[in-house]
Amino acid sequence: MSWAQAALLARGLSRGWGGLCGAALRGAPFSQVAALALRGLHRSAAACSSDLSLVPSPPESQRRPVKVLEPHEELFKQAPGGERDKASFVRAVQCFGQQDVRRRGHVDFIYLALRKMREFGVQRDLAVYNLLLDVFPKEVFRPRNVFQRMFVHYPRQQECGVAVLEQMEQHGVMPDTQTEFLLTQIFGRRSYPMLKLVRMKLWLTRFKNVNPFPVPLHLPPDPVDLAKLGLRHMEPDLSARVTVYQMSLPSDPASPEEPAQPHIVGTPVSSAGIQSPDQQAALARHNPARPIFVEGPFSLWLRDKCVYYHILRADLLPPEERDVEEVPEEWSLFYPMQLDLEYARSAWDDSEFDINEVEEGPIFAMCIAGAHDQATLAKWIQGLQETNPALARIPVVFRLAGSAGELLTSSGMEEPPPPRPEAQEEEEVPQRQQQGQG
Amino acid sequence: MALVQKLLNGTYILRKCPKASAAFCPSLSFRFADYCSSSLQKSGPAAKKGSWLRKSEGGLQGRHQEEVAVDLPSPEEKPEVSFDRAIEDEVKDHFKRLKDEIVNHWIGPEGRPLHEVMMEQAKVVWQFRGKEDLDKWVVTSDKTIGGRSEVFLKMGKNNQSALLYGTLSSEAPQDGESGRSGYCAMISRIPRGFFERKKTYDWSQFNTLYLRVRGDGRPWMVNIREDTDLIQRKNQMYSYFMFTRGGPYWQNVKIPFSKFFFSNQGRVRDVQHQLLLDKISSIGFTLADKVDGPFFLEIDFIGVFTDPAHTEEFAYENSPELSPRLFK
Repeated sequence: MSWAQAALLARGLSRGWGGLCGAALRGAPFSQVAALALRGLHRSAAACSSDLSLVPSPPESQRRPVKVLEPHEELFKQAPGGERDKASFVRAVQCFGQQDVRRRGHVDFIYLALRKMREFGVQRDLAVYNLLLDVFPKEVFRPRNVFQRMFVHYPRQQECGVAVLEQMEQHGVMPDTQTEFLLTQIFGRRSYPMLKLVRMKLWLTRFKNVNPFPVPLHLPPDPVDLAKLGLRHMEPDLSARVTVYQMSLPSDPASPEEPAQPHIVGTPVSSAGIQSPDQQAALARHNPARPIFVEGPFSLWLRDKCVYYHILRADLLPPEERDVEEVPEEWSLFYPMQLDLEYARSAWDDSEFDINEVEEGPIFAMCIAGAHDQATLAKWIQGLQETNPALARIPVVFRLAGSAGELLTSSGMEEPPPPRPEAQEEEEVPQRQQQGQG
Repeated sequence: MALVQKLLNGTYILRKCPKASAAFCPSLSFRFADYCSSSLQKSGPAAKKGSWLRKSEGGLQGRHQEEVAVDLPSPEEKPEVSFDRAIEDEVKDHFKRLKDEIVNHWIGPEGRPLHEVMMEQAKVVWQFRGKEDLDKWVVTSDKTIGGRSEVFLKMGKNNQSALLYGTLSSEAPQDGESGRSGYCAMISRIPRGFFERKKTYDWSQFNTLYLRVRGDGRPWMVNIREDTDLIQRKNQMYSYFMFTRGGPYWQNVKIPFSKFFFSNQGRVRDVQHQLLLDKISSIGFTLADKVDGPFFLEIDFIGVFTDPAHTEEFAYENSPELSPRLFK
C-alpha cells in the first residue's frame, strides 16, 4: 500500500471517528452517538471503498520481475563482441578455478555449467567434460577409513559427479582414461561416480552399433547434401541414382517478358530425387490410362533434423487387371527354364504369418524438395521425364496434404479421400481422369 | 457439470411424475433416485462410462423437451432399470468366460488343439484391421506428469494399419522434481479372463518378435512386461530398440527375444538375465529420443515366430566388476 493510500485511509478513518468523537463531546445521547458512529463509519467505509480498498492490492503486473543472477553466472556472460563457443566456456571454467584454491561453491558452479553447455554448443565435447571434472578439489573427497567408506562420503559432491556423467551419457559421449583417472583422484575407486563410469563403459560400448540404419553424428549443413543423405537413407535399393535438380532464380533476367511480377528474393530452390532401375522399368511398363500421384509431404527425421519428402506412386491394380507372367517358350534344350516341382512343406516348416499384408501400389520415385509447392514438384517431374520418356504420356495428379505426418495410402478399393483444408489437385497433362481418383 | 444438469433435470422430472417413476423403477433403492432419472437407457456391460453418461444425457434432454408438451412419458421410452440388469449381464458374461476357459482347457492350450499349437512356427498376436483392435491398446504420454507431449492412436487408411502419431515435447514440467521429460508410449492392455483375472501369453516356443511397421526415422523402444501379479514385478521390464528407417516402404523388424535387457524402475540393472517367455503380460512402444517435434508410426501387425537360424540364448553377460556376488 503506497503512502497516498495510507493517507486517504487515515483521513477516512479519522472522518468516521472524528464525527463520532465530535458527537460524543457535544453530549448527544448514546444511541444517537452510536447511530451516528455506525452511519459515519459506514459512510467513511463507503468513501474508503470508492477511492481505495483496505485490502492491499497485488503488485502491478507492468513491473517486470527482476532477474537475479546466480552466483557465478556472470562468468558465462557474453563478452561484448564475443560469441558463445568452446573458448569462452573454457575461459569461464578456468576463471572460476583460478579465483579460489579451495573452490568454494564448486558444486553449484558445476550444475550451472552443465545447464549452460547447450547454449555454448559444447555438450558433446569430452575435453570440456574433463575440464569440468577438474574443477572438483582433488583428494579431499576420498574416504580414508572404514566408517567413511561405509557411509556415502560427501554425498552432495558424489551426486554432482554422477550428474556430470549422466549428462555425458545423455549426449552419447564416451568417457576416456583421463575421466577415469580424474574420478579416481577426486572420489576414489569405490564411489558412485566410479560405478557409473564402469556402467557407462559397459553399456555404451554394447549399444554403440545397435542401429541398423546409422545416421552420421554431424549432419551436413548444406540442404542439398542433407536431402541426398535422406534419400539414400530411405531407399533400400543400392543401385538407385540420386539426381539434383537446380532451379533458376525467379529474378533471372532470362524471363524478361514478365517484368511486372513481384520480385521474389531468395536462393535458388533445388530438389534432389532418387530412382532405382527397377522403378524406372516399372514406370515404363505403367499403363498410361491410369494416373499416377505425387503425394506428400511426409516427414523424415535424421537425428534431430526433419526433412520432408514427396513420392510418385500409382494405385494398386485391381485383381482383374494384374498381368499374369507369361511363360516364355523354352530356349534352352539342356536344362528346363521352369521347374514346377511341388516340394510340399508340412506343417512344421511353415513360417508364414496367417495374415494378409497391407498391399499398396508401386512407388516410382522419391524426392526431397526445398519448397512444397506445386511448381517445385512440377520441375521434379519434368526432370524425371528426361530419364523416363513414358512419363510424358501419363497423367500426374498432385495430392499435396497440408499437414505432414500421415501417409495417404490408397489401394484399389477405398472410400474417397477425406477433404483436407489445403489439398490441391491439378493435372499435368490434360487427359481423362479415372472416376473417384481425381 | 453434466452431472449437475442431470440432477436438476432428474429432480424436475421426478417432481413432475413421481408416481410414474416409482412404478417404472420399482427396485430402485433410495440412493439412486437422484441419478436414475426416468430416461435411463439400458447400457451393456461392455459400454464405457463416458458413453453411458452421454447416452443418458441425450435421452434426458430429449425427454425434457417432451415433458413440456406432454405430461406423461411416452410408452416406447419406458424408463428401464440399468443398474441391476447391468450387474446381471456382467455376471453372465463372466460365467460364460469361465465356461469357455474350462471347455478350452479340454480342447487344448488356448482353446486350440495341441498339435496345432505345437507345430506353430509363426503367430500373429496383434493385428490392426478394425476399431476393436485399437481397444486393446492404451496410449500415454508425459502429460500425466505435467509435460506437453501429445499422442493419439487411430486406424490408418483403409483400416489396414494403425497410426500412432503426435508431438513430442521435452520441456520439463515445473514441478520441482523432474529434470527431464518427453515420452510417448503405446501399451497393450492385459487380456482378462473370467472375473477380470489376468491372462498371460505363452510364447515359449518362439524366439523372435516380428513387427511390420512404417516409421519416420525415429528410434523407438520395445518393452515387454512379464506377469505382473507379484508386486516386485510391477516395475520390471525387458526392453530393446526399434530403429525405424523412415520412407514410404514397409519395414520388417525382427527382434530376437535374447536381445532384451532387463530394467527395474526405469534403470538398467547390473545383474542381467534373459527374458522368460512363458508368462508375458504386455508389450509397449515408447518414444523418448529427446527431439521435439511431430512423429508418427504406422503398424501393420505384431507377431512372434521361430527363427531357426538364431541360436543365441542371451546377449548380455554379467561382469564380475559390477556384480561380484554372481561370481563368488
